[in-house]
Amino acid sequence: MSAKVIRIGLTACVLVLAFGGLLWSTLRDGTEYYKHVDEVMTRPDAWYGRKLQLHGYVVPASILRRPNTLDYRFQVQSKDKIVSAAYTGIVPDTFKDDAEVVLKGTLSPSGFEVEPNGVMAKCPSKYEAKPGSVASAKPPGA
Amino acid sequence: MASLGQFCLLAGFVVAAYAAAISVAGARRGSRRLIESGIGALYLTAALMTVASGVIIYAFVAQDFSIKYVQHTSDSVQPLFYKITSYWGGLDGSILFWVFLLSIFGATAVWINRERHRELIPYVVAVISVVEMFFLFLMIIHRNPFSTFLTDAPTEGRGLSPLLQNPYMVIHPPSLYTGFVGMTIPYAFGMAALITGHLDDSWLRAVRRWTMIGWLFLTFGLTLGMIWAYEELGWGGFWAWDPVENAGLLPWFTSTAFLHSVLVQERRSMLRVWNVALVIVTFFLTIFGTFMTRSGVVQSVHSFGEDRALAMMFTIFMIATLVFSFSLVVYRLPLLRSRHELDSWVSREAAFLANNWILLFAALFVLFATMFPTLSEAVTGERLTVGPPFFNRWMAPIGLALLFLTGIAPLMAWRKSTVANLREQFTWPVVTGVVTGVVLAAMGVRVWVSGLCFVLCAFVTATIVQEFVRGARVRQEGTGTDLLTAIVGLVGRSKRRYGGYIVHVGIVLAFLGFAGGGFKQEEQLLLKPGQQGTVGRFTVRLDSVQVTDDGQKQMITGHLTVFDGGKDTGHMYPAKWFFRRHEEEPTTEVAIRRGASEDLYIVMPAFDLKDQSASLHIVINPLVDWIWIGFGVMALGTGIALLPERVVSFAAAKLPAGAVPSAPIVLLIVLLLSGVVHAQHTESGQAVPIVSRSPLEREMQRSIICMCGTCGRQLLSECQCSRAVDMRAELSRLVNDDHKTREQIVQYYLAKYGSQEPLASPIDTGFNRLAWAVPYVLGAGGLVGVGLVAVRWSRRSGSNHESEPVQPTTLDPADRDIEARLDDELSDLD
Repeated sequence: MSAKVIRIGLTACVLVLAFGGLLWSTLRDGTEYYKHVDEVMTRPDAWYGRKLQLHGYVVPASILRRPNTLDYRFQVQSKDKIVSAAYTGIVPDTFKDDAEVVLKGTLSPSGFEVEPNGVMAKCPSKYEAKPGSVASAKPPGA
Repeated sequence: MASLGQFCLLAGFVVAAYAAAISVAGARRGSRRLIESGIGALYLTAALMTVASGVIIYAFVAQDFSIKYVQHTSDSVQPLFYKITSYWGGLDGSILFWVFLLSIFGATAVWINRERHRELIPYVVAVISVVEMFFLFLMIIHRNPFSTFLTDAPTEGRGLSPLLQNPYMVIHPPSLYTGFVGMTIPYAFGMAALITGHLDDSWLRAVRRWTMIGWLFLTFGLTLGMIWAYEELGWGGFWAWDPVENAGLLPWFTSTAFLHSVLVQERRSMLRVWNVALVIVTFFLTIFGTFMTRSGVVQSVHSFGEDRALAMMFTIFMIATLVFSFSLVVYRLPLLRSRHELDSWVSREAAFLANNWILLFAALFVLFATMFPTLSEAVTGERLTVGPPFFNRWMAPIGLALLFLTGIAPLMAWRKSTVANLREQFTWPVVTGVVTGVVLAAMGVRVWVSGLCFVLCAFVTATIVQEFVRGARVRQEGTGTDLLTAIVGLVGRSKRRYGGYIVHVGIVLAFLGFAGGGFKQEEQLLLKPGQQGTVGRFTVRLDSVQVTDDGQKQMITGHLTVFDGGKDTGHMYPAKWFFRRHEEEPTTEVAIRRGASEDLYIVMPAFDLKDQSASLHIVINPLVDWIWIGFGVMALGTGIALLPERVVSFAAAKLPAGAVPSAPIVLLIVLLLSGVVHAQHTESGQAVPIVSRSPLEREMQRSIICMCGTCGRQLLSECQCSRAVDMRAELSRLVNDDHKTREQIVQYYLAKYGSQEPLASPIDTGFNRLAWAVPYVLGAGGLVGVGLVAVRWSRRSGSNHESEPVQPTTLDPADRDIEARLDDELSDLD
């Protein structure tokens, strides 16, 4: 009986350790910091090169698009801190002046580089959360 | 009307409380009359909830905008169909709908089982009633769907969002709910078995069918959600590991695990604690899923309604449920001891056990990753998020392991598989898998996860085909009929076994679709008329961008010509629709060309009418339609497994060979029809967007009400009167120009109006905290009261009528031997 307990205990230990290790290693490059613009821009150099999800509001009249391309430049603010961002690709309908956005990407001295499909905009209108469903315009692209 | 609804809720609560108390009392006194009375009260609750549902539907149809909920989720221009379905379109109504479904399910389950499981019924009634009481309590105290505007009722509603006015969104929530609610029935029976100590396997038999029904609806709901996301949202995929989606997936994992482990208990009397635990966990996860969706605990880009009070009540209920259920399990541990040990790791029960562990691990993992942002914020103060790649990296191997077990488990023998029967069972499937692998490698498939998945799909399919063919051969020899008749007869004879295999076929098909995702190709292009772009073997040419108007909406349509490997294969028309009074929120109309091998999926997210250019998002989704087809097959299999014995014998007697049971066909048709119906959009009057610049401003808009005195204490963020506009401007000035903090703003309003009147909720200090506590104290007090009454009533007769102590069924060693032999003999008959 005690041999069995030891065997089960050992197996459990090994399994837990293995899964824990795997989880730890995948979490390290799988996670992104979720930050507001002002939190990051008070000490931007600390965040250079790290994967971020940046939350803020699009500065009115800051969205620029290079003609005949899908290259965008715009600014995002929260609490008076502003960061400029660059993105190539198609933006959601709700991406416009004053829109509340979450950007995925990395920060560098030249600004915030948004990764492909990394622009998520919250809808200005109010949706009721629907049970078990996606209730906003654009879920994050897989 | 509203008062009638109110009355139904209150009466429902009282009657449910009565049902709970009287049933417990009846069971303890052994009084048939009291028990009957409890059952009657349960039926009465169902009747009351039906009336309440009738009232709210009537209010929607009659456009009674004096009821806040009706005003909130519908408007007068909506088609009748969507007016009715607005019933479950918002939070308050969805809770009512939940209780309604639960009461109907509960009443049906009790009605069916009232004779067969007489000893369990009173406690089943009690458990169901307590769950109903919780949700009724939520509505009465906090989220009343019948609450009205105190003064001037608005004359027009706000309407459902156009994104949600779509046939899938109409069926999807009720289907998911039915699945969730269906899981309450097994829980009630499990609890009843624990309380009474009747822990032989009879409660499982009552529960199996209900779990299957719940499982079917859960699967159906999840699939519909995927189809909706795929066709309506236009980002090219169908599952994004969003917290709301995950909430529905969690109980699916545990209920799937239960459906398998229940077989082990039936056959081998093992895993008894495990099964009870799975039933409890599944129920818990359905409640937890509801909690996660409604309370705003998990943040995501989606706008959840954040509701602290609701979160609090749910937390209390969930903790109470867990503590109560698992203490019962611990208390009954001696009766739950398993009668057999695992004989060998090469046996069917071991494979089932492995399947259970993996499913449970999957559930835990998804739970962990979904809660990770919240957890990391609580532990480190930093909000860390994980994205779909993280989920995919973990779920892909988990899924493959499950698929592998789907293949091997049914072929293993119970107790112990010998090398000989392993060889007999696995030669062909392994050969099939290996051949598939070689062919794929030769064809140059290099995505290894998908490749492995294809190999496993081939392997599993071969095992299932082998089972059918072998079974049919045996039957053919026995009855002398042709192969097809033999197969139908075979399925009819052991519906659960072969129904299960058919479900597995569906799983294989769905996995084919998932694996296809590994070969997904996508491209974002900016085209001018005449220009073309190439994705995979498709070339897309933009011919023109045209504007049309049908009075209700303006439609900007991209006219595309698609070439498949250089050959002109016709036109596709992705579009953007701008509804009147709704121009801020255009809807994206995806153009999808479906095919068995791949979907060509084109979205036109942006356009420029001046130079006729259009941005296109082109996605090639290989094999994706097989996921939906796979669900159809799963529904068919579950339907077969669910069919009552009588129907099958009747069909077998009357119908010619090849006749397929009708119920699953109906489901299949529903699914296919919904695939044909195009997403429909209707106009809805929605508020002018109220833009707030900062989180604090948003928060304050939600915690201060409009003070005009005529719009019924609407939140500042929602009210549309002119006073609210002024107040919002004032608030914006306070937040953005004067940089006041939350407290300063609250103080400002307190000083300005001289009372707490402008605050949406009382300040959370001192005496006011007491005000918050009152509902909880009342609720808890009521529950304790119900319990006390039950105990008291049952004690009165305790002296003259002692209920018989329950004898666990034990077997002497000789019986055990015989039972083991019987197991072996029966193993081929299922």
